[in-house]
Amino acid sequence: MGNKLSKKFWLLIVALLTAMVLAACGGDSEEGSSDADGGGDGGTTDDGATKITAWAWDPNFNIAALNLANESYNGETEIELEIIENAQDDIVQKLNTGLSSGTMKGMPNIVLIEDQRAQSFLQSYPDAFYPIGDYFNTEDFAEYKIPPTSLDGKQYGLPFDTGATGFFYRTDYLEEAGYTHDDLVDITWAQFVDIAKDVKEKTGHPMLALDPNDLGILRVMMQTTGTWYTTEDGTINLVDNEPLKVALQHYKELMDNDLVKLVSDWSQYLAAFNSGDVASVPAGNWIAPSIEAEESQKGLWAVAPTPRLDMEGAANASNQGGSSWYVLNIDGKEAAAEFLGNTFGSNSDFYQSLLTDVGAIGTYKPASEGEAYQYENEYFGGQQVIYEISQWMEEIPQVDYGMNTYGIEDILSAEIQQYLSGKSLEDVLADAQAQAEAQFK
Amino acid sequence: MKKMIAIIQANNLFFKIFIIMLISIITVSVSITFSTIRMSSDLYMERFSITNNKVIGQIKEQFDMYSFSVVSTYVRVDENGIIKGLLQGEKDTAVEKSQYFYHMKSNMDRIYAEVDPNEANMIIMSPDHDVFNMNYVSWPVVAEELAHHPITEQSRENPHQILYQFDASALTNRVPMIIATKALIERSSNEIYGYLYISIRERDLRNFYEGYTSEGNSIFLLQNTGQIISSDRQNLIGSESQELLRHVKELEQSNEEYHNVHIFNRNQVLMAEYLPQLDMYLVNLVDREALQQDIVDTKEIVMISIGIVLVTVLVIFLILRRMTVSISKLVRQISDMARYKFSKPLEETGGYESKKIAEAFNYMLNELHDYVEILIKTQEKQRKAELEVLQHQINPHFIYNTLASIKFMVKQEQKEVAFTTIDAFISLLQNALGDIDETVTVEQEMENLKNYVLINQARYGDRIKVNYLITPDCLGYRLPKLVLQPFIENAFFHAFTEKKTGFIRILIAEQDEQLVCEIIDNGDGMVQDQLTRKGKRQLFSGIGVKNVHERIQMLYGKEYGVVITSEPNKGTNVKVTLPIIQK
Repeated sequence: MGNKLSKKFWLLIVALLTAMVLAACGGDSEEGSSDADGGGDGGTTDDGATKITAWAWDPNFNIAALNLANESYNGETEIELEIIENAQDDIVQKLNTGLSSGTMKGMPNIVLIEDQRAQSFLQSYPDAFYPIGDYFNTEDFAEYKIPPTSLDGKQYGLPFDTGATGFFYRTDYLEEAGYTHDDLVDITWAQFVDIAKDVKEKTGHPMLALDPNDLGILRVMMQTTGTWYTTEDGTINLVDNEPLKVALQHYKELMDNDLVKLVSDWSQYLAAFNSGDVASVPAGNWIAPSIEAEESQKGLWAVAPTPRLDMEGAANASNQGGSSWYVLNIDGKEAAAEFLGNTFGSNSDFYQSLLTDVGAIGTYKPASEGEAYQYENEYFGGQQVIYEISQWMEEIPQVDYGMNTYGIEDILSAEIQQYLSGKSLEDVLADAQAQAEAQFK
Repeated sequence: MKKMIAIIQANNLFFKIFIIMLISIITVSVSITFSTIRMSSDLYMERFSITNNKVIGQIKEQFDMYSFSVVSTYVRVDENGIIKGLLQGEKDTAVEKSQYFYHMKSNMDRIYAEVDPNEANMIIMSPDHDVFNMNYVSWPVVAEELAHHPITEQSRENPHQILYQFDASALTNRVPMIIATKALIERSSNEIYGYLYISIRERDLRNFYEGYTSEGNSIFLLQNTGQIISSDRQNLIGSESQELLRHVKELEQSNEEYHNVHIFNRNQVLMAEYLPQLDMYLVNLVDREALQQDIVDTKEIVMISIGIVLVTVLVIFLILRRMTVSISKLVRQISDMARYKFSKPLEETGGYESKKIAEAFNYMLNELHDYVEILIKTQEKQRKAELEVLQHQINPHFIYNTLASIKFMVKQEQKEVAFTTIDAFISLLQNALGDIDETVTVEQEMENLKNYVLINQARYGDRIKVNYLITPDCLGYRLPKLVLQPFIENAFFHAFTEKKTGFIRILIAEQDEQLVCEIIDNGDGMVQDQLTRKGKRQLFSGIGVKNVHERIQMLYGKEYGVVITSEPNKGTNVKVTLPIIQK
């Protein structure tokens, strides 16, 4: 009896020790196989939803819009959206690095690209983007948005926000100078310069703020006539570009008469009108929230259509900035395209909340019938700012921005400094043309 | 509680041994476990500090490169005559300003292109608060704020020095940033013509070392003031820790590779390197416990120790219990012995030792029982012999008196009476002299009694009448002889000393499966104490009233015997109960 019992104990001890050794060995096999990197390879999550990633840069604007789209998405494919925030310059750099290497590893499914840069990507990396024309109706969008977002008849970009410009001005300063709203509607840039002179004379305030390193104002002027630094076939068009010539003359006149407050960076640009220094801001509509940020100037602002260049076929509408969504040609592209088509591509209600919640004015035309677009903005003295902008948006002359907008502008801005110091306009443009041709051919 | 104490007392031996064993096993295992863990972690720590010191060296190189980049950027700005000219020159008109801004930016662009890493931002501020910001996204600074901020003032006060300052205030939109500042000075006049800022966001700076960190292995960039300005432990960024600074300085003075310190509520290994250009310390803290968990699987060692302790304790518990419980049981049984009058043997269970003890004890007990039994038997024999002797002692006076009475009868020529008396006397003697153990039937006993009564009546006259009431079915039952005679004798000679006449009744019947014989007289009776009085001389044989009771009980057991009740002047009732014996 005693022997039997102690045998049992030994068995028990052996069993316990074995169990421990086995447990210790088992501990090593826990290492998972998770290699999460930021890239969207169109993987599928555990619950069957397709995982797509998106890159955008402004948490208060385009990222907020993506989040809103994710909420209102009601397509068939289950989608799990991951949004990664990157500075715009970083996105450009990362896209260039990623697409030129050709591996597409770590690239997102959806990326936001500024319209004026879009062509350089579409033309440089023809197979990297997925045509999404089948997922929405291009006719629903403002016409001017289509050329920059398409290539060779294929639609690659889904238009997001509009860069439709407006002529935002201080009603008190302009009144002091003797101008009413009607005097400012549908004017030319030449009239604008004259008004600027009056304002400077009567109130002492410069008309507008400019950063000499940013020629946005020239582009705005040019686009009222539907011309650009390049022609549709990509030839550099500086020397004989009449609208550009006129625009440069206006630019020089503004400078020569000290009608401009020069700023060196964005914060100074904002400070120029928030402090009440300048009398107007001719810029893309996205500047409106920055103007409204200065609570003390409520009711002192109004907006008129963008001045046009005094030429045949010019419209009192132009564009500055604005961007569109692109889908990269990697796994998950169908889901990503469906996601965009279902939200930004066709949902009118979504655009209403995009406007009220995020403040983004889309380029989807049917949305302008919605209620949110009729909102009378007290800050702008009860003007239906959004409605008016959406009207102007439809008139913006179409322009093919081409590949080298920013490159040409770098050359041009150096020449402009010489122009300001006295070089003749013909020489300036001829030299710029020569340099640009040398650089981009 | 009382129950507990009782249990502990009952198992006193077990608990004593068990507790001692338990304490020693646990002490041994705990000390071995801890020394194993400590030794292995010390060894690992030694090796780890060597690797980590190399890592720190590499990180230091990164920082050196950064500070070199800052210095070379400054030199390029300082040497750039165009920038100097632009900052000092007149710019009143828009055209002048436009050219000033444009050329500033384009010159700065060239310098900025060589700033390393790319994430760093470069800003130049003119004395008129014109700000040239090369990467607005990274630091959207407002000119007026920057101009009046302490970081600019510091730089103004120390114009010849590159200052590395940490800021996470509204100036940087609460983004932690390390900003190198340097005033730009005109050598000839010693006047400040601008300020250079090279800022890097803390999270970009973190890239220098983040790859080397892990859970429990943190790196801190510590300013000489005790402020932590960069770390992978993000909650500590911007906080002051004089304690950490003190530990770092102690380490620096001691010339050792690393120190073990207790900081941030953890035991950590501290390694540090001074960054002279930045006047900062690069500190590496490694959480000892986290490290041990990584390398020395403390849990496993502790689990194995616990397992072994548990198994050992279990085994000891069971073995010890088997040993001590049987001994405790023996003790309990032995102390209970008196209650069972030593008749119950011990249970022979448990271990070898206790079994042997129980066997020896039982053997001893049996021997004892045997001796006692022999003793009792001897005593019984002796008593029996005594009784026999008594029975055989028929009183010579009785014989003498009876014979004398018969002589009288013959003399008085009462021939018939003499004859019957002699007859009765003969049969009485015949019966009385038989074996004491013999039983007789009720009928025979009646005959004896009648003979005895006849003799007595012949001698003393028939003033005392005797009646016999026997149920016929009892006649065949047997009873020890001369059981009833002493009571009749007693009644004859003692019950009627005051009353001269009376009667004696003898009743024999079966009652409740017992044979009940009652001898009732209506004589003088007695008070209770007379009943027990001893030493009454017996007239017929040696057997007296007292002996009868003793004899019956000896023969048949305690439930049988004699009960006498008496009342003065009313009479005496003797009740003899016997078993029913049929043969």
